[in-house]
Amino acid sequence: MKSKFASLLIAACAFTAGAGVTFNAQAQSEISALSAISALPIASLVVGSSAVVGAVVAVPVVLSTAGATLVVKTVESTARGTVYVLERASDGAKASIEVVGKGVAGASLVAGTVLTVSVIGAGTVLSAAGEAIAFIPNAIGRALLHNERVTS
Amino acid sequence: MRRTLSTLLLCAGALLATSAFAGRSCDAEYPPKASTVERGLTLAERTLAALDASGDRVVILARAGQDLSKYGLRYSHLGFAYQQPDGQGGHVWRVMHKLNQCGSADAYVYRQGLGEFFIDDLWRYEATWVSPTPEVQERLLALLQDPKNQARATQLNIKAYSMVSYAWGTKYQQSNQWALETLALAMEPSATSRDRAQAWLKFKGYEPSVLTIRPLTRLGGRATRANVAFDDHPNDKRFSDHIETVTVDSVFDWLQRAQLGKAPVKLAL
Repeated sequence: MKSKFASLLIAACAFTAGAGVTFNAQAQSEISALSAISALPIASLVVGSSAVVGAVVAVPVVLSTAGATLVVKTVESTARGTVYVLERASDGAKASIEVVGKGVAGASLVAGTVLTVSVIGAGTVLSAAGEAIAFIPNAIGRALLHNERVTS
Repeated sequence: MRRTLSTLLLCAGALLATSAFAGRSCDAEYPPKASTVERGLTLAERTLAALDASGDRVVILARAGQDLSKYGLRYSHLGFAYQQPDGQGGHVWRVMHKLNQCGSADAYVYRQGLGEFFIDDLWRYEATWVSPTPEVQERLLALLQDPKNQARATQLNIKAYSMVSYAWGTKYQQSNQWALETLALAMEPSATSRDRAQAWLKFKGYEPSVLTIRPLTRLGGRATRANVAFDDHPNDKRFSDHIETVTVDSVFDWLQRAQLGKAPVKLAL
């Protein structure tokens, strides 16, 4: 598939209701303190209009090339969240991500925002000005993520 | 003079104790640093590979969330990392641990992935774990994986939290303390209360860390943070600045000393 014309939709799904898009990592300074709970959104690949949550689907090249620079082209609200169309600066290749709910990490992305692609063993991290705004896990990444409160 | 000062501090503490300890808000949402996510997940991924290669099915896993070197401590927080069937013939690793809720006075037990465990803004990107003996692993797994009684693994948990809770008290319970008492329950089924679990731990020779925390530091912590309290410590210890609490380092030392586990394994980025 030519990444240039890729129309893959990546749904950044909240991992658990209400907590999935909140990053509250706070530096602590005392003994035995715990950082506040951090929840990582799972980005699931959607091809066309069909969600492929958790399925083995190749991430488009535009989102799997370490160091690539992307620009947010459009921002569109949907019933589930917000869709961002991203364009690779070097060749114009496009891909889209959908952020479910309140948005990944509460970030407010606008058209023109520049994103950087980082590829790690667990998947792909998209960041803006050094701040992570979306994570697209591969199979290893999915195995690393789970967030469930056991006690009430 | 010392007595007068102690009395004054006590009064000040009582006044401060009536203040609203709201804790730090969880409302503020902000993106984490990309480097935090990348390094945390990389540490999680490598830990996963090491655990899979270890042959262990459950370990006591710790992280270094803060610089505790002034207390002579290297790690801040531990939990149980254990294999859980994935329903497809394989397994995933999950961590059951207790987390303080955004600086409030409450804490809850969570079951998380290794990713969540390490994605916090760590002081050092380093994992360490103790591999318990086969018998301890068997007993821990029976508790953590018990499908018929999920509540059993958390029956010694209490919500009231102080990050420096007294190791032999029951008014508060910090995270490492919950894990240690739960280990006692796994090993001694009759340890169905915190008192009994602590009695078993004493019998087995566990010794908490003794932190020297001066009065002004104590007052400052209590006055400004909802998740810090010292009123559960015996007066003689508290007013001699001796704060006995459960730490990763003391638990790991004891596991080896009691021959319940091996020497800690360390994995650093």
